Amino acid sequence: MGVTPLMAQYFFDVINSFGLVEDLEGQELRDISAARLVAIEAVRSIIRDDVTVGLVDLVGRVEVRDADRQLLVAIPFSDAVELRGADAVRAAP
Amino acid sequence: MIEKLLLKLRARDDVSAEEEALLRGAVSEVRNVATDVTVVRADVDLFVSTILLDGLMCRYKDLGSGERQVTELHVPGDFVDLHSFPLKRLDHNVMSLVPCRIALVPHDRILAITETQPHLTRLLWFMTTLDAAIHREWQLSLGRRSSLSRIAHLLCELHARLEVVGMTQGNSYQLPLTQVDLAECLGLTPIHVNRTLRELRMRRLVTFRNKTVSIEDAAGLKRVAEFNPDYLYFEKRPR
Repeated sequence: MGVTPLMAQYFFDVINSFGLVEDLEGQELRDISAARLVAIEAVRSIIRDDVTVGLVDLVGRVEVRDADRQLLVAIPFSDAVELRGADAVRAAP
Repeated sequence: MIEKLLLKLRARDDVSAEEEALLRGAVSEVRNVATDVTVVRADVDLFVSTILLDGLMCRYKDLGSGERQVTELHVPGDFVDLHSFPLKRLDHNVMSLVPCRIALVPHDRILAITETQPHLTRLLWFMTTLDAAIHREWQLSLGRRSSLSRIAHLLCELHARLEVVGMTQGNSYQLPLTQVDLAECLGLTPIHVNRTLRELRMRRLVTFRNKTVSIEDAAGLKRVAEFNPDYLYFEKRPR
């Protein structure tokens, strides 16, 4: 992607049971809300993968960092999905 | 100039000196193209086809939402839109992913080849059917392979295709793509690509660092990918 003056570099480190996956490359995005969307989409993509082998692991987060590697926001995996029925399943005999 | 195209063809069949001269003579112009330039645009009438000499290009289609799917990567030696000769316009774009050098071949010169050179015409036809075979394999990947296997498969395919044009060093090769580019090829997100690459690295199958792919365990990587190079038709035989 070409760099335009309006864009900024964001890095997305993923921390979950799999360990830390550091983003060495980053992505050029318009602003932090665009970065947040990118993180949410990524978590959904990761969960989708896990579900195919029967796992939903919501313990994890995506750390969004700026070009100086300063933490801007941490997005928990649980922010990426709305869970329905989990309590009902747990309460069932 | 079209040496890599000739390597690609000669891996599959003989190309006579006369046919080689005709291919060389078919090129009307050589151009340099910057990164991220749409070289061939969908839905416009086309009068030339493009050979990729150096760099990397891709065929892609976008959804209205801006979501992009790359449908094939092109390596040097590929005739990236030879199918625009019979189709006259395309349903997809072709874009440079890095700075590229391209050769333009006017359709009237291809027409002349088809009218006088049956074997060379079949070789051109072979190349478009080979692209179709690559598309089928990508369909299988996008529809059915797991993320891990999908990335592994792409890295195996690129090694095989680059090897035939002399662009590998043993089990490694240069791949100047970003995670975003890879994600658009694989139907994943860039962050997911990064995570899956880490898993391949941890399994000691392959590493992708500093734009270099190093295959550590070729047999293991092919097993994970279910990679069988038969769809690339490397056997040399009369076509």
